[in-house]
Amino acid sequence: MADDLLVAERVRKEFGGLVATNDIDFAIPRGSIVALIGPNGAGKTTFFNMLTGVYTPTSGRILFDGEEIAGKPPHAIVERGIGRTFQNIRLFQQMTAMENVLVGMHSRLSAGIVGSILGLPRVKREESGANERARELLVYCGLPKRHEHLAGSLPYGDQRRLEVARALATDPKLLLLDEPTAGMNPQETADFTSFVRRIRDEKDLTVLLIEHDMKVVMGVSERITVLEYGEKIAEGTPAEIRANERVIEAYLGRGAAA
Amino acid sequence: MIGVLLLALVGVWLVVNFVQGPSRFLSVVIIGLTNGSVYALIALGYTLVYGILQLINFAHGDVFALGGLLSTTLILDLFEVDSSSATASVALAIGGCLLVAVAFAAVLNTTVELVGYRRLRNAPRLAPLITAVGMSFILQNVGLYFWGPEYTVVDPLISNDPAFSIGEVEVQWDNLLVILLTIPLLLGLTWLVTSTKQGKAMRATSQDRMASAMVGINVNRTISFTFALAGGLAGAAGLIYVLQFTTIRFDQGFQLGLIAFTAAVLGGIGNLAGAVAGALLIGFVEAFNEGLSWLSPGSDWTRSIVFAILIAVLVFRPEGILGERTPEGA
Amino acid sequence: MSEQLATLKSRWAEQPEVVRRYALPAGAIVLAVLYPFYVDLLPGFPVTSIAVVMLVFTMMALGLNIVVGYAGLLDLGYVAFYAAGAYIAAWLASLHFEDISFHFGAVGVADDAPGIHISVWLVLIIAGLFTTVVGILIGLPTLRLRGDYLAIVTLGFGEIIPQFVRNADEAGIGFDLTHGTFGINPIDSIGFGETLGAVGLPDVYRTSSSRAELFYWTALALLLFTVFCSIRLRDSRLGRAWIAIREDETAAAAMGVPLMRTKTWSYAMGAFFGGIAGAFYAVYKSGAFPADFYFQFSVFLLCMVILGGMGSVWGVIVGALILSWLDRAGLAELGKEFGDLVGREIDVPKYAFGIYGGIIVVMMLVRPTGLIPESRHKIEMEEGVHDTPLYDVQHEGPGTGRIRGDG
Repeated sequence: MADDLLVAERVRKEFGGLVATNDIDFAIPRGSIVALIGPNGAGKTTFFNMLTGVYTPTSGRILFDGEEIAGKPPHAIVERGIGRTFQNIRLFQQMTAMENVLVGMHSRLSAGIVGSILGLPRVKREESGANERARELLVYCGLPKRHEHLAGSLPYGDQRRLEVARALATDPKLLLLDEPTAGMNPQETADFTSFVRRIRDEKDLTVLLIEHDMKVVMGVSERITVLEYGEKIAEGTPAEIRANERVIEAYLGRGAAA
Repeated sequence: MIGVLLLALVGVWLVVNFVQGPSRFLSVVIIGLTNGSVYALIALGYTLVYGILQLINFAHGDVFALGGLLSTTLILDLFEVDSSSATASVALAIGGCLLVAVAFAAVLNTTVELVGYRRLRNAPRLAPLITAVGMSFILQNVGLYFWGPEYTVVDPLISNDPAFSIGEVEVQWDNLLVILLTIPLLLGLTWLVTSTKQGKAMRATSQDRMASAMVGINVNRTISFTFALAGGLAGAAGLIYVLQFTTIRFDQGFQLGLIAFTAAVLGGIGNLAGAVAGALLIGFVEAFNEGLSWLSPGSDWTRSIVFAILIAVLVFRPEGILGERTPEGA
Repeated sequence: MSEQLATLKSRWAEQPEVVRRYALPAGAIVLAVLYPFYVDLLPGFPVTSIAVVMLVFTMMALGLNIVVGYAGLLDLGYVAFYAAGAYIAAWLASLHFEDISFHFGAVGVADDAPGIHISVWLVLIIAGLFTTVVGILIGLPTLRLRGDYLAIVTLGFGEIIPQFVRNADEAGIGFDLTHGTFGINPIDSIGFGETLGAVGLPDVYRTSSSRAELFYWTALALLLFTVFCSIRLRDSRLGRAWIAIREDETAAAAMGVPLMRTKTWSYAMGAFFGGIAGAFYAVYKSGAFPADFYFQFSVFLLCMVILGGMGSVWGVIVGALILSWLDRAGLAELGKEFGDLVGREIDVPKYAFGIYGGIIVVMMLVRPTGLIPESRHKIEMEEGVHDTPLYDVQHEGPGTGRIRGDG
């Protein structure tokens, strides 16, 4: 389609004899919020991992903003504008919230070894600018007083928010959220859902999320793609998916009734 | 591919050497088998522990050395046998030493795990590794304290006389004994790992510790059992080494342990058959290098060659010969 | 008494931040600089000539700290960098290459002496750069490996390179690179030469009457340079990237940190300081001897980092000073005292490595963050863990750092 930020063509991933994703076609329109759902083992996180460079597709193409990214290393993909959070939180536990966010900015900063040791004015300016932006991001993500706190000591909900702040620090065009509301109570989930919409609107992002919580999926996504056993079995608006028999079957009645 | 070319060159080198002196070649092969057997017993220990804990137990080689050193004490001071002793007393001594060395090394290895590694089971990967290095040094110094800095020597208890000959090639008794002692140990191990309850528990725990705990396997006991097994094999290897080479020193465990570890990696770390295969291969490499005459680098270079093999395997084929490729990032 | 302490504490807290931050380090530096003058008043303290060695080892430990402490890479072959630096000094500032005669700024050497004689100051820099290249080369095959394999492979390098320098003479490789087991000696002295000598600076250290002091102050200067760089690096973009890699390298990569490149930088920096330290030490001893380079030395340095505190600059300094003192003098003294106490003679230095191994094990079990933990760890230990989550965490949850299956 005309303005698709990401286009995956016949993307296939095999592990030995196991086919994790079977020639998937998938496109994400710029500026949209898209959800990828499916029962466990459907291949969603495998697909994510191919988008972020953790895995290399066995075959197929992945075009991001017109450029082929399949097989590129993770840091190169971040440089091109894809940021992500993790299914099981992977913050840098021994670093403060502030430092976590600053690491996210790594690819957007340029201070080198010599400049850092010499303490050049350019480096100093870059660092204070980065600190400024990091503080703003933390406030934006609902963590105004947490910057000197160790990531490992934050309460669970704050850790999730910090992960998002860190992903936003990479200055992405496409934000991948891997089960962002796992472990949250209904109130937190609702807050998070509106937060996602806010990010997309205010930061001019495109969002792709993997989710199991159907309320979130139905509530925030504009389009839903359903995977089962590594294949795409349905794609459409929330209303269409809710009524899709194959999807209901795949979930054995779960979710749709939620 | 470079790898294929290299192997081809090695093949040519072997063939030339064989043609130039077939009987010498074959006796070198037998030496390789003998060395390889000792390495196999040590390598199995590394691979068993790595399989279950993903830990390179640096101290493992030193358990082997202590087992060997203990054997010398038993031979010299307890059984008091030497080259003039009757075959029956020698056989008795070897049997006794085997039992004691195996038991001692098993207990030692289990203690090392209990004291050093158990508390660090959920610590970041680096922690038990560093501790293992420390443990290795402690054990070496224990050997140094009780047995001194010099080589401890025993009389050759098994004669060099040929047991039988294949054509012109003699198979000596001492070589034969090494192989004869090793094979039952390997068979015993195989039986233990595949057919017993403990063996199944070991395999389950290697695959998924949490899941094993959830189905009722006592993970701590299984891990202790694995260490005991690994230690026992190392102890046996220590005795066999002493019988074959008649001398041992406190710091040889570390050196030989490294070679055995390379063997385990070569065969496929975590894979028992791989450990044996890798060890035999390394045994051959060492024997060929030191024994063959045509264009042979010589014993000064053995360690470098083995080390080069280690790097090559880890960089180009980390799962080893018999291992399985794990999905990237998993 | 505690009242006075409390008053002191509050008085201290009132001082401006500049004072609080720099007072202690400044005081320590002053004490260190003046050390040769008051060491005689302190019985049992190492004499200046031993202190030089302690400072050199501390510099190496700080170099290793960058690799192990910051980036979390278990390098068991650091001795290779030490050897590289030492032999560069030996090649570029001695009579070794007798077929050439090349002089450039050397002091204390006859103008017609054979061999390469470059000013030792320059040689130190060259040694640092050369060793950096060695570090990058070693990094190429090893840094893509997982933590435990990296440890074994660096251990291998730590074994092979000493073996190499022992054999790299006519008999071993066809030409005399390292003069085999004899090593290369003497090595030219360091100094400021005649012109600067006229202004009052020492012209040739080795012939000076305050030889030990001069080497001591130069070593101190090199150490302070290393400390300065370590701190600057730790607080920089690169330092954050290293610690992120140490914490969770997959997440670090997912946040845009290029793994190979960043890890190689840590090797390079560690090698740089190791090379300079190695070269300086060789100049001090006036020789590069294979007997000095043995694999266990890498573990000795590791012990310093573990004892002091991985990633903690002050901690590593303290750990290094303690262990190098033990190594040079302490173990022998303690051995004697212990022997007197127990009534038996025990050659404690013989078991030095058993003791170092013991220190490593005890620290890892009891206080893995070290004597003086990295400041981050301190925050955690003082603050404690905050509010616990109200409900079960579905997945592995925080704090385990384990990789879970995907999908």
